[in-house]
Amino acid sequence: MVCVLANVFEEAGLCTVTIAMVREHAERVKPARALFVPFPFGLALGKPNDAALQHRIMAAALDLLQKPIGPVLEDFPEDEAPPTLLQASALPKRDDVKETDAADELTALRAYYERWVKDHRGRTAVGLCGIPQRRWRGLIRFLQAYARGEEADMKERPSDVSLEQFIRYGADDLKAFYYEARMAQRPSTPSEELHTWFWGETAVGQLLPEVGRRMAASEDPAAKAVAFGIAR
Amino acid sequence: MPRLERLSEVNRQTLTSFPCLERDTAPWQPMQQDLAQSRLALVTSAGLHLRGDRPFISNPKGGDTSYRVIPATAKAAEITQSHASIGFDRTAIYQDINVSLPIDRMQELAARGVIGSVAPNFYSFMGALRNPRGIVEETGPEVARRLKHEGVDAVFLTPT
Repeated sequence: MVCVLANVFEEAGLCTVTIAMVREHAERVKPARALFVPFPFGLALGKPNDAALQHRIMAAALDLLQKPIGPVLEDFPEDEAPPTLLQASALPKRDDVKETDAADELTALRAYYERWVKDHRGRTAVGLCGIPQRRWRGLIRFLQAYARGEEADMKERPSDVSLEQFIRYGADDLKAFYYEARMAQRPSTPSEELHTWFWGETAVGQLLPEVGRRMAASEDPAAKAVAFGIAR
Repeated sequence: MPRLERLSEVNRQTLTSFPCLERDTAPWQPMQQDLAQSRLALVTSAGLHLRGDRPFISNPKGGDTSYRVIPATAKAAEITQSHASIGFDRTAIYQDINVSLPIDRMQELAARGVIGSVAPNFYSFMGALRNPRGIVEETGPEVARRLKHEGVDAVFLTPT
């Protein structure tokens, strides 16, 4: 996508340099100047909180702006074994985690989440669905009802946001809340362990795949389009 | 990205067959001046936007081709992500926005004199679009016009 944008910008008379994550796509789309980085999706600049590595990547990319002719596609020389992005389907389903646990689980994580926000000067990835957190027990009950196939909705859903998009934003908010709480509770946990915990041990991690399954089974293309971004 | 040979067969097939706007030649705009005299902007496909701005949607017709403006002075706490895909590890950006949109690194490069200046605005799109036509024909050229109007010499593009 950024490679396509680079071509649009160059055609409009702007110089561009692009970080490319799929070398094979950059070879085909041919942006003017691209630096291939061999990192997993979500890690374009290498690693979180590693300013030195991020600067090395930016310097390697900015160097390409001085090239006299192109297209140029170079490889960033540093490489690391990527962490594994675990999805729900990679872990056994936990039937012993009861539905009623989800709201209590959320309450139990709240203090850790608040510590995360405080330690990060107010920064949080939570905040897409618009439901205030004191109403999140209601959000969980709504998602449980939706997963059971009931005609469910929330009166707080903004009128210009479809039910499916609203569910996706709620799911994104819950994930961010859980992961941030867990990272505050156990700093420096490798991401693979965070995913194993979320999808493998939490009640919300059991609920979201059920929500995704109802959407994927829907006749409505708008619901199907969302399903893939809930859980897989 | 992880090199294709490191991925599962399903992931590899998806990426290999992903629709690309393939081309034989690339448009090429030469740099007119040194980097230290240039104004740079960030443009990302990480689905980022200001908190309170309209989130991106999961569009069944090939993706959301709209864009959002992020002032270069926005703090990390003011920016959030509504990318429709869960095919990337969000734990990285939960910890540090610079891993997708290097806002702090850009200011540091300007402070060190490596680049001339940071543009007033950055722009954000959503990635993983199966049909980028809207971007090629409409929103991409629109953002290009805005960047030029804002005196930008070079654009640094970051994916998710």
